Amino acid sequence: MERRKFIQSIFTASAVAVVGMPTGVFAEEAKKKASKKGPNDMSFDEALKAITSDKGAKESDKIKLTVPEIAENGAVVPVKVNVDYPMEENNYVKAIHVLNKGNGNSRCADVILSPSNAKGYFATRVKLSKTQDVVALVELSDGSFIQTAKSVKVTIGGCG
Amino acid sequence: MAEARKSMVKIKPKKYKVGDVVKVDFIVIHPMDTGTTKNKKTGKMKPAHYIDNITFSFDGKPFTTMKVWESISTNPYFSVNYKITGKGKITVDYTDNQGEKNSKSKKIKPKG
Repeated sequence: MERRKFIQSIFTASAVAVVGMPTGVFAEEAKKKASKKGPNDMSFDEALKAITSDKGAKESDKIKLTVPEIAENGAVVPVKVNVDYPMEENNYVKAIHVLNKGNGNSRCADVILSPSNAKGYFATRVKLSKTQDVVALVELSDGSFIQTAKSVKVTIGGCG
Repeated sequence: MAEARKSMVKIKPKKYKVGDVVKVDFIVIHPMDTGTTKNKKTGKMKPAHYIDNITFSFDGKPFTTMKVWESISTNPYFSVNYKITGKGKITVDYTDNQGEKNSKSKKIKPKG
């Protein structure tokens, strides 16, 4: 009797271990995925809402957004924004926002300009995790927003 | 005081007069960690470490302020235009999310 019980207990224990194992593995994977999330993740729509305070932005050809069509390395993608708009005392480009649509945090940079900049120009380099759109959102001094988007093909992602 | 970072303020073109519009380039050596990558040696997650605020000022008067996030590349580069008004100093102050504060300045000497 004792021997039978002992063997049974071993079987049940091993069965529990086998059943328990995969859930443990899954939990670990889920943990990994969760930790992939950045500290201040924000989707593109949320970012657009936050910047324009629900007004939305018009498409415009006044903004010249220069990005490469194909970026071999997503870790370094040059972005150049030129706005064809006067920079006078009461009529100027107030801010240039550089956004993306595919990274965890879709905000790259907010640049607050002033008339002494003389031109609505900003250039930087950004990281892109995958093939996606880069958006230049421009705020004018009268409070209106204009935007333009361009897609960038990314061969190797640049976010970890 | 945190370790001083290598940074650079460049005026392009090098020769300019009063009234010219020049490019002010700012480059800094900074890791710009997103908080989603692993340290390959230890296997631990690297904490997020990125520049978040930058201010360009001329003789103490700010003319451009920036708020940036971790989507900017490692060793970031920022470029804006500026209209030269006279002799002075362009200073770039920057802070990161771990509280480091640094600044770099460049003298403005217009010719002619």
